[in-house]
Amino acid sequence: MAPTVCFNCKEARAVIIRPKNRHKLCRACFIQIFETEVHETIIGTKLFFRGERVAIGASGGKDSTVLAAVLKTLNERYDYGLNLCLLSIDEGIRGYRDDSLETVKRNAVQYEMPLEIVGYGELYGWTMDQVVAQVGKKGNCTYCGVFRRQALDRGAARLGIKHVVTGHNADDVAETVMMNLLRGDLPRLSRGTSIVTDSDASDIKRSKPLKYAYEKEIVLYAHHRQLDYFSTECIYSPEAFRGSARTLIKDLEKIRPSSILDIVKSGEDMAALVPVEVRGSGKSKHAGAEDESAGGCGSQNGRSSGGEMAAMEKQLTENDAAESRETEIKLPVATSKKSKPAKPAKQIKGQTMGHCERCGYISSQRICKACTLLDGLNRNRPKTAIEVGMEDEEGSSTLMRQMERAQLGAT
Amino acid sequence: MPAKELNQPCTECKDAESELSVRQKQLCRHCFKRFIMHKVHMHINTVYKFRKENNGARHQLLLPLSFGVSSSVLLEMLNVDYQRRLDNELPMGYDLHILVVEPSTMTVSASCDKNYEVLQKNNPMRTVNRIPFHSVFEHVPEMEEIMREYAGAQFVDDASKSNEERLAAFRASISTATSQTDVDTILLTRLVVEFAKKSGCKSVLWGDSDSRLAAKALAGVAKGRGASLTWQVSDGMSPWGLKFQYPLRDLYKAELLEYAHFTPELFEIIIPDKPASDNVLTKNLSIDELMMRYVENQGAKYPGVMANVARTANKLDPSDTKNAPSCSLCGGLLGNVKGNVGVTVAGQAEDCQSSQFCYGCMRSRPEVLR
Repeated sequence: MAPTVCFNCKEARAVIIRPKNRHKLCRACFIQIFETEVHETIIGTKLFFRGERVAIGASGGKDSTVLAAVLKTLNERYDYGLNLCLLSIDEGIRGYRDDSLETVKRNAVQYEMPLEIVGYGELYGWTMDQVVAQVGKKGNCTYCGVFRRQALDRGAARLGIKHVVTGHNADDVAETVMMNLLRGDLPRLSRGTSIVTDSDASDIKRSKPLKYAYEKEIVLYAHHRQLDYFSTECIYSPEAFRGSARTLIKDLEKIRPSSILDIVKSGEDMAALVPVEVRGSGKSKHAGAEDESAGGCGSQNGRSSGGEMAAMEKQLTENDAAESRETEIKLPVATSKKSKPAKPAKQIKGQTMGHCERCGYISSQRICKACTLLDGLNRNRPKTAIEVGMEDEEGSSTLMRQMERAQLGAT
Repeated sequence: MPAKELNQPCTECKDAESELSVRQKQLCRHCFKRFIMHKVHMHINTVYKFRKENNGARHQLLLPLSFGVSSSVLLEMLNVDYQRRLDNELPMGYDLHILVVEPSTMTVSASCDKNYEVLQKNNPMRTVNRIPFHSVFEHVPEMEEIMREYAGAQFVDDASKSNEERLAAFRASISTATSQTDVDTILLTRLVVEFAKKSGCKSVLWGDSDSRLAAKALAGVAKGRGASLTWQVSDGMSPWGLKFQYPLRDLYKAELLEYAHFTPELFEIIIPDKPASDNVLTKNLSIDELMMRYVENQGAKYPGVMANVARTANKLDPSDTKNAPSCSLCGGLLGNVKGNVGVTVAGQAEDCQSSQFCYGCMRSRPEVLR
């Protein structure tokens, strides 16, 4: 059988079936097309300005590695005039992050980009392993997500950079759309799909240039350019709604490959249809970053405890029951119908961004989410430190040393 | 008088043996039917309000009946309501037109002659009509032209053939299950809408259950039709100037099945669903089927979460889509919703904007290489 020729150049032998549209392409054309599409996204959304300093949130995984490689290539090819560097977060997950950080370090050399690493340990005094030891595996993604969001901002601030790009791909965005629909989360539905998520209160802007790139194509791109990336998934499991949305999207992709993009398109349209009063605080898309972080941990396993779904189910059932009781009381008030659409107003409560009293990070609350979570974690920890006697020096020596270091650092 | 000896009394009336468990309650047959009616009542009530808008004249409503469980139950409930109003000498407010699109002209199935006879016999107070699917060419005259444009050069329409054969040829030119279901739904909607207009109707009452609406919402999103949810899932104005209403939006499919089970009047009307085969590869399902299965599976465990999907979609605000150019096939929005600056359509942008068809329809187009 004669080999199939490339759909694009009609010359070379096709070696790739494009997951997005099943076009058969040769290696060179695929790489070219992939890069051009990212370029079109960047130009179409006016993502960068000349001379901008941009930090690439690098995890060592396929998405961020491909992002770094593509941005480097495009920056040179189309002369964006960008000043690129790598920014890595060390969550402190042994067997996952320490290995992937080695990859990032190699990438920094390969792409000739400076690298900055910010650790949860140094920022918060807690590594993710320690968090999991304390809170268990349930809900640990919350800690990781909240901590990462701040860590990226702080790392960027340390470098004096105002724009962080992350490797979120079309699959991640589609997943977020489905998840927010399943969760009935309109405010997030209105923000989750935008390519840039910045906040009025923070001067650091976030964006996802690979928003329209398929995860499978990212893998193919990494493979055919022989990029050096780390392919182990996070060892902790994703949240149930995301897990459910992920499984659904994998099935959809089997039926109609374009559906990932179609979901993104639907998500963008629906975002514009979310009533203004439900969107949350005007332009402040701060929480948008929150949504991403959950998907950004790169864990691809569909395992889920179902706890979150069960919890929501319980709450909805209770609401339902309450509502039916409510109707009976409300009956005589004939005009109460009018006021009903205003109901979602209660969650609107204009978010005003201020600064956390503890750490100074932007927050709509008096104390930011990270500090609140840390409070919960620390509540159990000091006890051990206080109980230190001369005899059990051994057990707490690590902690003592940490404290000494912290003091040294403070002076 | 000693109380009745009951093993498990109904939690509502406490006077009868409970027969089924519904939303954390053990109910008897009678209380269950009352509960279901109560859920629908609110939506039916809005129907009566039309009379005011209509200068006191009776409103004309169309109910498309598929002989499936949901639409049959909806009709039955409207009939119960009709009887109640008659008995209590309450104003009626509207006339109901029933439309049956002959199922055997859509799928390979036996004719519904018998069911139709019973339907006519049971509804002497209603206008009942039956039309074949291919009458879409008569009712929507521009459909021939649209079909040719849509199907592209590879499809040759033979005008000498009968409408039935031409429609069959067009449907056969669409390759995947998803696109076929998608296009069939659009054609059916167009046919129902045109028929409603001709009958002087201002609203269409669709019999979609909550589960079905959730599946429709998810499938719509997956097919790039997110912007159309405001009338495909929400109660709202359709692109053709008719209101679409979904009075069963608070009831799960399983509850409607129970209702039908307790209602002998429906036994001879409903054509039972074919049981879903477990033997189908995921990739051979249509997106609509996949979502229906997903909602059924998840709904068994988390009915509230699934119900919430349709409710969420119902909160979207369509006011920004008014007066925007619309797709000549499905009536959906061309291009992006105002305020959406996304460039999803990158590869198709030119194709899509110059075209008279929307993003979703372009995806289901016969010749498009996918």
